[in-house]
Amino acid sequence: MLGAIVASGLAMGAVYALVGIAYNVMFNASRAMSFTAGTVGMMGGVLGALFIGRFGLPVPLGLAATLAACGLFGVVTEIVAVRPVLKSLDQHLYVLSTLALALMATQFTAIEWSTEPQPFPRLLGGVGGVLDEKFWLPLAACAATIAGLEYLHHYTLVGRAFLAIAEDNYAARALGLPERNLRIAAFALASAIGGLAGFAAGELLLAYFANAQLLAFYGFVPVALGGIGNNRGTIVAGLLLGLLQQAANFIVGGVFASVAVFVVFAAVILIAPQGLLGGQRARRV
Amino acid sequence: MQPTRRSVVLSSAAALAAGAAGLRPSFAAAEPFKIGWPVTLTGPGSAPGLSFDLGVRYAVDRLNAKGGAGGHRIELVTRDTQGDPTKAVNIVQELISSEKVSAIFGPTNSGEALAITPIMARFGVPNVHAGTIDSLIDPVKYPNAFRIAPAGKQWDAALRHYVLAVRKWKKVGILGDTTGYGTTAVSDSVAGFKKDGGEVVYSATIDQTQADVTPQLLSMRKAGAEAIVVWSVSSGLEARIMNTRAQLGWDSPILGHPTMGSNDVRKLLDKPSNFDKVYVVGFRSCTRDASGKLPARTQAFIDEVRGKMDLKRAILFLVLIGVDGIDLLAKAVAETGSTSRKAIIDYLNTVKDFPGLFGTYSFSPTDHDGYQTTEVVMCAADSLKDGALAQAPGYD
Repeated sequence: MLGAIVASGLAMGAVYALVGIAYNVMFNASRAMSFTAGTVGMMGGVLGALFIGRFGLPVPLGLAATLAACGLFGVVTEIVAVRPVLKSLDQHLYVLSTLALALMATQFTAIEWSTEPQPFPRLLGGVGGVLDEKFWLPLAACAATIAGLEYLHHYTLVGRAFLAIAEDNYAARALGLPERNLRIAAFALASAIGGLAGFAAGELLLAYFANAQLLAFYGFVPVALGGIGNNRGTIVAGLLLGLLQQAANFIVGGVFASVAVFVVFAAVILIAPQGLLGGQRARRV
Repeated sequence: MQPTRRSVVLSSAAALAAGAAGLRPSFAAAEPFKIGWPVTLTGPGSAPGLSFDLGVRYAVDRLNAKGGAGGHRIELVTRDTQGDPTKAVNIVQELISSEKVSAIFGPTNSGEALAITPIMARFGVPNVHAGTIDSLIDPVKYPNAFRIAPAGKQWDAALRHYVLAVRKWKKVGILGDTTGYGTTAVSDSVAGFKKDGGEVVYSATIDQTQADVTPQLLSMRKAGAEAIVVWSVSSGLEARIMNTRAQLGWDSPILGHPTMGSNDVRKLLDKPSNFDKVYVVGFRSCTRDASGKLPARTQAFIDEVRGKMDLKRAILFLVLIGVDGIDLLAKAVAETGSTSRKAIIDYLNTVKDFPGLFGTYSFSPTDHDGYQTTEVVMCAADSLKDGALAQAPGYD
């Protein structure tokens, strides 16, 4: 019993953490919270099922095509929904523009794909039970993403440039960094990470348009809990959220499980408004 | 191919174009008989609505080809509620006040029905529906509402009879989704089993998007459930329950809502054998007997629509109810010669033994549950053919 709860809790937690990282990467590059993070998570599952399940592509090719398509959607997001409202960031218009784009993409998927959940193909096969691939694939994807981001940020020039614009984009621009191109790249990267979350969780969540809302919602919780922009906090909070949610499903079930999750969320936010690992941010006055 | 909004719009446009091209009979100057049709065509839980819609559109086309309802061309005003009670409320108000429909067939979702039934009653709009929640029929509160499908209590009774009397299983676990329908159905089912001497060892509601239902099934197995009862229309949740049962190496039977036997569930199964020992509520009018034959009326309908209607993707009994709902309303207009709301309600109150495809209906001013037969039976989910299932094992 405990094994099943831990396995599915960690798996869902890893998915929430990855979607949270997608939120963070976009936020760090633009200071705008893009609500398309859940949509690219949904697209990862749907496109994976399309490329591998329907078109019959090999898994590596299907994964690459899925991530490329999600990355492209990220570029479109930056151009269509974020760039036009960056000048009035303090009015938070990005909330409306990114939500609108997310809703359009979700409804388009419902119309063109299906309104019912569709099967996601088995990727590797193998054992069932708590060691089944549907449980460890999201965790593996999460670990690979963490390793990849650490390498990017600490060992590459582009990664350091990402950190620079995240820290102070005015200063970064003054130093000659191509802020716009870096922002486009960050949105592409974030959307690919969101797509990877949906792809890795395809067997758990199925290829279903309604997953967009679920992932947008539960993916945001670890961002708020871990500290906005803080990937380490997001990962810890995401995994805890997954475990708490599955435990609540087992202990109280039904709608009460969601209530339990959000009671904890509200309590943490009340105690630590900046998130578990978030620091106080200086504000220009 | 699964019907989508686009295919619905295209087929509607094609029907209109055909009508404009003179392929329909000419109608007298009588005003059209407008029937409102609020239906869940997209979104979670759209599977039943899509099947209903096949029957409704078939009946309207067939009746109009024969001259409509007593000379009144039937005009169907379809609106997709997307399974959202809030949207359904707005849609029904628009149908009543702007479209000025004479009658409404539907909705197809119990949560929506709970929200809009009082509105239709307030405006005195005749409403024929197939909602299963018992409280949707009350001739005093809702004198305009008539049901042409078994109430939830009849589904429950048939399932309980099969579990407790036919198969002699005593300990049951009951699951439902967290929609209005799911939570109501679970609490009604728990009360019913307890009343009939069954032992409910576990009951829970599960969010339709919950990715893993292992905790609930493990709890149920630990509690000693001999049968798993499921009340939901979510194909994703139903398939997860069946797949998880198999992964746990558990072979307790799963029994419940008719949508568990649909193709939408079948294609989500890890392997076809996960459909073993899954029994769904069915009806004699669309259930194959031991020799594999359907009742004559039903077989005649299937033969007529073969090649024109995709029954492989449909739930047959819902298609038949869709046909019956439109036929019944058309009969009211034909018999009274009027499309007035009051005339239709007055006529429906006098209907006696109306021979539909799904059932034979009777109403009175004090009883608006038209489908009063006890011919509700359990069927084997893995026996789907032309939208019809075979009776579950164990019956005499």
